Amino acid sequence: MSHDNSSPKFLQHHFHDVEQQYETAKLGMWAFILTEVLTFGGLFVAYVVYRSWYPEMFVGANLLLDVNKGLLNTIVLITSSLTMVLAVWAIQKKNQKLSLFMLIATFLFAFMFLGIKYLEYSHKFEVGQLPGEYYSYMGPEIAHLNNPHIFFSIYFIMTGLHGLHVAIGMGLIAWLIYATAKGNLNSEYYTPMEMIGIFWHLVDLIWIYLFPLFYLI
Amino acid sequence: MSEHHITPLKTYLAVAGTLFFLTAVTVWVSYFDFGSFNIIIAMGVATMKASIVALFFMHLLWDDKKNLTMFVMSLMFLGIFITVTLLDTGFRGGVNSEVEYPINNRATFYDSLPLTDTHGHPVDEHSADQHGEDEDHH
Repeated sequence: MSHDNSSPKFLQHHFHDVEQQYETAKLGMWAFILTEVLTFGGLFVAYVVYRSWYPEMFVGANLLLDVNKGLLNTIVLITSSLTMVLAVWAIQKKNQKLSLFMLIATFLFAFMFLGIKYLEYSHKFEVGQLPGEYYSYMGPEIAHLNNPHIFFSIYFIMTGLHGLHVAIGMGLIAWLIYATAKGNLNSEYYTPMEMIGIFWHLVDLIWIYLFPLFYLI
Repeated sequence: MSEHHITPLKTYLAVAGTLFFLTAVTVWVSYFDFGSFNIIIAMGVATMKASIVALFFMHLLWDDKKNLTMFVMSLMFLGIFITVTLLDTGFRGGVNSEVEYPINNRATFYDSLPLTDTHGHPVDEHSADQHGEDEDHH
């Protein structure tokens, strides 16, 4: 309420100035990222504990995953991170058209990621490499191993929660596309785009660990 | 917000290039067997990639350092979480050898699972007979 008439309309009355509003949003976003790290952290602990109990089973079971699909998804997600960061860069440079293009590219890469994940999941459903009591795969390469259903329980929960984050990210990016196309976001005010960008890079960052843990080692 | 740091395009492209390169390295290295170093190498490369993403893509390098502090704090607490849990699960046998592998028995439902081929279809010892029966059905 203390603002004079020259203050921009996106500045909310409980903030002193634009800079304070921006820094507050960013601090809040990082507090959220902290809770995300701890959410996934519990699952990483489950992975570490079970791997320490069943080292041979984990090494055997990860050979059942398709490294090529995992690698392709890694490349897709890194590329989407680049297009996301370029969307923010373009809007900082007052190029809304390029920013819009980069957001749409990010959305499509996210869709591609989920598409590849769907192919992987449907194959696992087909052959019975499923979590817990639904597990039924006893192929020659794994029949001698102890309790591989535990590997797939952890695999499905971790990649599933990650996939849910990708889906939520797609929804947020869709909203950014709408807001940018409408002109609500511009070089003066792009805070939502930068914050959703941070979320999207976290999704990339978690996959950077999931890929080697499940597909490579 | 014109006073905000605008990272040059070249930096972003170089960062993405480095991430693709490190991805190739970690896949290539996985085809060699270094024993227990496999995990250390894979996690080392992943941590390099994650640091690059956090510092450049997530802008922590140019941000107010309170954001970096918060992120590093979350990782520190994750480290405590993992360490303290492993101090329990990794050393149970030292107190009482009977509980060293409390869950290492094979789950009972495996007793009723038939062996399968690589497509998940059941096979048994008389696989030749089984095959003949299959043909009769068609």
